[in-house]
Amino acid sequence: MRSRSVVSMAAVAVVGALTLTGCGSSSSGGGGLKADSGSGGGSKTYTIAFEGPLSGDNAQLGINEVNGVELAIEQANADKSLGFKLKLLKADDVGDPAKAPAAAATVIQDTNVMGVVGPSFSGATQAVGGKYGDAGIAIVNPSASNGELQDQGFKTWHRVIPNDYAEGPAAADWLAKSVKKVIVVSDKSAYGDGVAGAVSKELKAKGVTVIEQAADATATKDYGPIAQTVKSSGAEALFYAGYDAQGAQFAKALKAVDYTGVRMSGNGVKSDVFTKGAGDAGNGWYFSCGCADATTSSTAKDFAAAYKAKFNTDPSTYSPEAYDAANIVIQAIKTAKGKGSVTRSSVNDAVSAIDYKGITGDIKFGSNGDLPEGSGVVNLYQDENGTIKSLGDITKAAAAK
Amino acid sequence: MHEFLNYVVLGLTRGSMYALIALGYTLVYGVLQLINFAHSEVFMSGAFGSYLVVNAVTHDGAHPAWYGVIGILVLGLGSGAAVGAAVAYGLERVAYRPLRRRGAPKLAFLISAIGASFFLSQLAGKLFNRLNNNDFPTYFNVNHHVVAVAGVTVSLVQAIIIVSALVMMLFLDTMVNRTKLGSSIRAVAEDAPTAALMGIDIDKTIARTFIIGGALAGAAGFLFGTAYFFSNTMGFIPGVKAFAAAVLGGIGNIRGAMLGGMLLGLIEVLLPTFPWWHATGLIGIQWTDVVAFLILVLILVLRPTGLLGEKLGRAA
Repeated sequence: MRSRSVVSMAAVAVVGALTLTGCGSSSSGGGGLKADSGSGGGSKTYTIAFEGPLSGDNAQLGINEVNGVELAIEQANADKSLGFKLKLLKADDVGDPAKAPAAAATVIQDTNVMGVVGPSFSGATQAVGGKYGDAGIAIVNPSASNGELQDQGFKTWHRVIPNDYAEGPAAADWLAKSVKKVIVVSDKSAYGDGVAGAVSKELKAKGVTVIEQAADATATKDYGPIAQTVKSSGAEALFYAGYDAQGAQFAKALKAVDYTGVRMSGNGVKSDVFTKGAGDAGNGWYFSCGCADATTSSTAKDFAAAYKAKFNTDPSTYSPEAYDAANIVIQAIKTAKGKGSVTRSSVNDAVSAIDYKGITGDIKFGSNGDLPEGSGVVNLYQDENGTIKSLGDITKAAAAK
Repeated sequence: MHEFLNYVVLGLTRGSMYALIALGYTLVYGVLQLINFAHSEVFMSGAFGSYLVVNAVTHDGAHPAWYGVIGILVLGLGSGAAVGAAVAYGLERVAYRPLRRRGAPKLAFLISAIGASFFLSQLAGKLFNRLNNNDFPTYFNVNHHVVAVAGVTVSLVQAIIIVSALVMMLFLDTMVNRTKLGSSIRAVAEDAPTAALMGIDIDKTIARTFIIGGALAGAAGFLFGTAYFFSNTMGFIPGVKAFAAAVLGGIGNIRGAMLGGMLLGLIEVLLPTFPWWHATGLIGIQWTDVVAFLILVLILVLRPTGLLGEKLGRAA
């Protein structure tokens, strides 16, 4: 009994110490209040937050993005003319709508945070977009592509990529050039259902027969039956609306049943998680993506080289977009500073009014926070023996087969 | 028709794995009247354990001769079973035996099991990774058609799963019915205090029951990993399904678990893809769990003790 009471006392002591350190860090965060007054002069430090999956099943996408943000901040801090320093706050939401509110709370609490890059996923964005809006923190979203997020009344919403209502129809138009019967499979996520709906609607409008099916990503472990359904349906093409890890398993199951039609997917699958996971079963898959290939423009090449030097890996899906998003926030802080005061609301106003030449294109925001109608480019990519090759603008790309 | 038969093959493949896992639930229930909710992580551990061994002896893209492939498969099944057995035995010693010694209430066992389950799943995440699509190295063509008659195909990996599961189940059935160990398991299941009076070491028998169930689940982990993928969270859904299969067949009943597993696999695949409504687009694969569990409830309403009835001692 005696040793047990010693243990419990030790436990109390540890908890106490943790609480103390907790207080310590929050009081230093409180010190940031002064920075808000933006009296100018000296070197203030502002924080840019990133919210996305940094652990869990979809961590790769979050890592692609947070690396882009980190690089942008590092480059800005090297620039002495800026007159302020930047810090990165990483908030891990595991890509899960249920965990996003806690991640958003840590961001909102930190009064130094002037803008947030993220959340990476549409479901998580749906859960916390309003919270960021109420806190007045500018959201500059690099990857949540659900086509309804801009209409949710999030007060500080901005997005640097075309949404699924732009990407889905572009993909459907491309498929409609060569096939007459398409099976569309959704993974039932906020993103998957959105893109599946947009693709199906446009295909039907083009007179293509559409079969709608779904394979819930959280419950499906065995893609055999859905692959057999795709084959039995006699569809000339498959569009899978979901994410990369499940896409890879689906690709393998399709190979197992010898499905020979066109296989296509959206931005959620275009990643090396898919190419590595699917192996040769992924060969020939097409991806539509409102994202830039970091090797096309000369500025993007500098970005790709700096990224590779820092992280020892090539930039992947949404790294360039996250880099642009972070730079937009930095630019906005600069503008706000020039106008006199750096506050969450002045930064948000500066983001809304920005005209930024990024590595992914020329970025301006419409009144709903999205790119103006028709301004984002949707590109077509293909898995060629394990590497994702860009086939250029999807509206100009040749038809499948 | 050939499409229907292809779905049957898919259902049997899935069902074989459910059956192997379900046996672990049912064996432990038989001797302890306790659901080992950490059993799904035994299955997961088998996949990771066998991966370490298989990855050490072969590599991606290796094409050993047929006897090499068989050797690796046996090694994979064996190592999966060994790791599964070891983890299950560890669970018994750490999470259950201390509670049993102190006469803890049933609820304590349940909490202990859930805790152990989280611990194992997160431990695997820490030790390996948290990706949800880890693969075994490809050392044989999993898609090679063993049977291809009139559009009906059975791939090599499907054949391996179904055949090895059947062999293991036959082996288990013989062991429980014909050996001394089997009769002591049955005796403990039927009446533990009386079995103790007859000179059976109850603790030893319970530990061995865990080991047998763990070995089957570990081997199933290897098969699942070979066919689909493996991850630190892979256990949860197959675990819940296998538990349902064990209840469907009659919890505590060994042949019931085999039947329940196979049946649940078939129901899951065949019902949502049944031509009449599937082809017309009324329901699809996303209805799998709805349909399967509706059937489960219906069967349990008609036969509350499962298809073959409860209790290990009576039926085996």
